[in-house]
Amino acid sequence: MTLQDATRQRIAELISNHRVMLFMKGDRQAPQCGFSARVIGILESYTSEYETLDVLSDPDIREGIKTYSSWPTIPQLYVDGEFVGGCDIITELNANGELFTTLGVEPPPEVIPAIEISDEAAEGLRHATAQNGGPDQHLHLAIDKNFQSSLSMAPRGPMDVVVESNGITLMLDRFSAARADGVRIEIVDSPRGRGFRVVNPNSSILNKMSVQELQRLRASGKPFELIDVRTPSEYETARIDGARLLDESHFQHLSSLPRDTRLVFICHHGPRGVNAAEQFLGMGFRDVHNVTGGIHAWSLEIDSSVPQY
Amino acid sequence: MPIEILGQAGAADVEDALRQAIREAIPDGEIEVSSGGPGHFQIRVVSPVFQGQSRVKQQQRVYGAIAHLMSGSNAPVHAIDRLECVTP
Repeated sequence: MTLQDATRQRIAELISNHRVMLFMKGDRQAPQCGFSARVIGILESYTSEYETLDVLSDPDIREGIKTYSSWPTIPQLYVDGEFVGGCDIITELNANGELFTTLGVEPPPEVIPAIEISDEAAEGLRHATAQNGGPDQHLHLAIDKNFQSSLSMAPRGPMDVVVESNGITLMLDRFSAARADGVRIEIVDSPRGRGFRVVNPNSSILNKMSVQELQRLRASGKPFELIDVRTPSEYETARIDGARLLDESHFQHLSSLPRDTRLVFICHHGPRGVNAAEQFLGMGFRDVHNVTGGIHAWSLEIDSSVPQY
Repeated sequence: MPIEILGQAGAADVEDALRQAIREAIPDGEIEVSSGGPGHFQIRVVSPVFQGQSRVKQQQRVYGAIAHLMSGSNAPVHAIDRLECVTP
């Protein structure tokens, strides 16, 4: 099978221009196959800094990428120009903790969340694990960035956080652990039958903050992080004192902070801040705000010495 | 059910084609191929060529060998449900 030079070159450019490049079916908002959806779900836990190409809308790449990598399936993930693998391999790298190294992302600090399990739920979990147990099968609680919970049996991952509660041993990956403090597991009867319910107090929503509230917060002397998510050149043009640009190093710093740190995001008009804020909510931060109207509103209503652009 | 019988026969042919293609690329390999539903196959290859290679590199060797059976919309092989590459 031959791969046309033009297609080969396009693929080479995509993987060299984007540090993390995913060839998939659909896009990150709407994956068009289960395997692509699974990889997006995993990637989103680690970073939002990746590019995707929808092979369904690009038949040349859809066939070409398979020859390029000697890999017959989609999705395909490339990092730093190197082929990493497809869905199975990414799932495995996620489970064994190697995906942090592959993607160059710092693991979230190991926090042991407090988890409460009702007596009835503990009994149910004991029963379920006895039936599905095996040599290296442990009960895992996963909480995704949208705070959807799931319980499953899986081998222990090297980065897993272990929690003992009411006689039950639960394992959580680092991301899930960061979202799990205060979780309660109980049994409920629903129209679909009896089942476990995971009540999570952390599934907080993004708060809106007006420029007036931001001004009061600054004056109060209470600790908070003011995070500017605009580009460096916009930051040069106009900025609020104390606001730090969200670059790679600041991102790493913020990711290591306690999850109850108050984070306030600001951009030019508002929407970019929402994206960044939601990412931090997904990382388990609970006190997250976005400034409505952005620095533009700040300049209009609070401090006219900040240039408008 | 005649359709199922035809399906079975087809699967056996494709299994042979897979075995042969892998043998050409990895002559010293111990190759097992089995069918798991129309167009779906499972492959296990044991060979010293996998020594010291990452899982991706190992699998790329096998996938590279069978690419012609998997390309195009009428490909005889739709998916490899399981591919195991083992060093003896």
